[in-house]
Amino acid sequence: MTTVKAPRKKGNWFKRDWRLYLMLLIPVIWYLLFCYKPMAGVMIAFQKYSLVKGMWGSKFVGWKNFEFVMKQRDFLPALVNTLKLNIMGLIVGFPVPVILAIMLNEIQSKGVKRVSQTLLYLPHFLSWIIIGGMMLKIFAPTTGVVNATLLKWGIIKQNIPFLTDGPTWQWTYTLIGVWQNMGWGTILYLSAITGINMELFEAAKIDGANKMQQIWHVTLPGIRSTIVVLLILNIGQMMNISFDRPYILGNTLVQDYCDVLSTYVYRTGITNAKFDRATAIGLFQSVVGFIMITAANFVTKKLGEDGIW
Amino acid sequence: MKKMLSLVMALALILSCLCLPASAEVAYTQTLRVEVFDRSIAGLNIEDCWQLHYAQENFGDPNGIKIEFVPVSRWEEGDILTTQFSGKTAPDICVTYNGDLVNAAIADDGVKVLDDLIAEYGQNIKAFLGETLLAYGAQDPDGDGVKSQYTIPARRISVVNQGAFVRADWLAALGMEEPKTIEDLEKYLYAAKEANLGGDMTIPFSYAIFTSNPMFAMRHYINAFVDFSQVTEEDWFALKDNPEFLPGAQEMFKMLNKWYHDGILYENFAIDTDSTIGDTYMTMGNFGYFLQQYDQPWRTDKNYQSEMAKNVPGAEWIPVNCWANKYDGRTLHDNYDAAGLTVFIPYWVSDETAKAAIMYLDWMCQPENLFALQNGTEGINYEGLNENGLPVGAKPTEEVPDENKLHAGDVAFMSNGYFFGDDEKNAAYVAMSFPGYEENVAKSVLYAGSDAWTQISFTVPIEAATDYSATVITKQNELIAQVIACDPADFDAVWAEYTQAILDAGAEEVIAAYRQAYLDGNYRGTFPGTK
Repeated sequence: MTTVKAPRKKGNWFKRDWRLYLMLLIPVIWYLLFCYKPMAGVMIAFQKYSLVKGMWGSKFVGWKNFEFVMKQRDFLPALVNTLKLNIMGLIVGFPVPVILAIMLNEIQSKGVKRVSQTLLYLPHFLSWIIIGGMMLKIFAPTTGVVNATLLKWGIIKQNIPFLTDGPTWQWTYTLIGVWQNMGWGTILYLSAITGINMELFEAAKIDGANKMQQIWHVTLPGIRSTIVVLLILNIGQMMNISFDRPYILGNTLVQDYCDVLSTYVYRTGITNAKFDRATAIGLFQSVVGFIMITAANFVTKKLGEDGIW
Repeated sequence: MKKMLSLVMALALILSCLCLPASAEVAYTQTLRVEVFDRSIAGLNIEDCWQLHYAQENFGDPNGIKIEFVPVSRWEEGDILTTQFSGKTAPDICVTYNGDLVNAAIADDGVKVLDDLIAEYGQNIKAFLGETLLAYGAQDPDGDGVKSQYTIPARRISVVNQGAFVRADWLAALGMEEPKTIEDLEKYLYAAKEANLGGDMTIPFSYAIFTSNPMFAMRHYINAFVDFSQVTEEDWFALKDNPEFLPGAQEMFKMLNKWYHDGILYENFAIDTDSTIGDTYMTMGNFGYFLQQYDQPWRTDKNYQSEMAKNVPGAEWIPVNCWANKYDGRTLHDNYDAAGLTVFIPYWVSDETAKAAIMYLDWMCQPENLFALQNGTEGINYEGLNENGLPVGAKPTEEVPDENKLHAGDVAFMSNGYFFGDDEKNAAYVAMSFPGYEENVAKSVLYAGSDAWTQISFTVPIEAATDYSATVITKQNELIAQVIACDPADFDAVWAEYTQAILDAGAEEVIAAYRQAYLDGNYRGTFPGTK
């Protein structure tokens, strides 16, 4: 006896799901247009780029641009500061949204929960220009709110150099970042917590687990994969640093501590229209970022977690 | 009903299409796009302003040219023009203060050569600028000894630059005369602090690092400490951007360091660089001295004088000329070059449009057109003319109806400053334009022009400057911040460390390149020394 197979026509899958593919087309086009097409521009990193001659007419110079930017006196400090500030941000800033999300999740009153969530999100929507101005008035020596108050109460004898001493500035920078982002960071964790099966909590309760034990044995394992994915993505971003935050919060007194790759690129590549050099640094950052994210993914998989691919 | 509606809609559409060509009476043969700086003045729409209509009616229509103004933010003009230039979307007539961009474009054949066009259509341009000034726009990028006219410099009417100011009410309270030397100034500053003339927050010496041009104020101060008999002209030009290497600079900074630690110099000078806090002190009358543009206290956009007088009755800023050189007593002031911003036409602009562009610039340079573009309409923008033909009773922009609002300099860009035919009238008008402060302004202009030397510029692209300037400036900011704020005991070590950092950051290359350009004779500007 032979089984009769339904004939599988080619293109059947497309006929059935074409609407879904049509929807998929929108993000695909977006990616092609804004993420892949500009990649051709990477080649100006290997050219002596001329505004007039453009991408196709400029002279090929090999690794010259890379050599130039990496030999500059400020390159190494900028690289070190980028990594240092990002690592500080990761160590201090990464656990905060997790803890905050769990705390928010435990708030019983809906009203209180909503209000506190909104208040926590709020700083995320302030531009760094505004925050920069606020921070100057709060942390300035002598006249800043914090120093003025502490001096008046006699708690300190000398100004705390929040903005004027390099290492202290790096902590100010990190903590301001944590403050700005912690609320926003909770969103993903909160949705992950909502996805945990309620029966697990009930079972834990029946077994006599108290609040802390429930959090430790149910909530945290429940959101572990989310934490891991976000951690990998964050590690992939170690070489990237936003421009506005260090540029605005930094000042000349702490120049050696606040100069990072983005501000360095701005100075050596953008202000003087040397786009070839700016591109070279950008390419360098991307390559290192790619290596880091691959390594992090590999290590996670070895540890038995799902990676991101 | 539905049919009716669609019919009506269709008709409306057709009618509106028909209306468009009907409204334009003149048949334009071409469009001329002109860059105009945008200062975000409330109520002034650059793309549809009185000056545009005036130019269209008096120049565009008779010549069959449609003029369009392309607004570009004044504060980001260099960056925007760079982007537009690389995308070939820049206007047909570009104006910029970014000399690096122009030099780079010229080196790459990106700028139209204008000799023939100016010879044929630019008689008024020649007359207005004069041969010398026009020659500033001629370059020889390929080094074959033949110069071509690539750009047209605007004419700067007033060349004075910076001025220092002290408080007249504080001087009176202390029973002191106007300071004439650095020692006088120091006495005044310390006495003001002692007497707490500005209240608990008395800050006698206001200073904040001007991060994009850190040597703006410092150069003036340093020059008072330089023994010019020890400086050669060659060194002076080589150190164009690095006055910190002039002999005497270290001594000057040592004084500022002392002032800082004695509470004389503004404590937040390195972190409040955009005056977030400083402006409050300024209006509250806590400051006793500052140095900025010669007319800064009375400018309408940030009128320090009137704002302060509101809070502190009787408070008054007066100009002071006290940075007298320690060796020869001169009060050196740097003055601008006679050339203002740069006007050029990008290479892709057609010959026909380039001809229209030169004709437009030529039209702008005619005195009667310049007068109209700069001053507007009698009875609306100003009350009338005085016996010298100068407009009197100019109305502040906010009091002029929107359709008549204008910004003089940005549209009539061939003239940097108001032009009325001769120097005397121009100077008279400057003083007139600050009603109530005429005497102080006139004195400030006088001081700002005393013992003047002309700022240095080079007539060839300096590759090293393009490569390293931004980095060097950052290190200069750092030097200033560190040597002023450091422990006086560490001063010499900090000075050595950061001056070395400036050299390492590329100043060495820049200085060498400037030196070479000087030796090759490719420079403008003057040397105030004797050697």
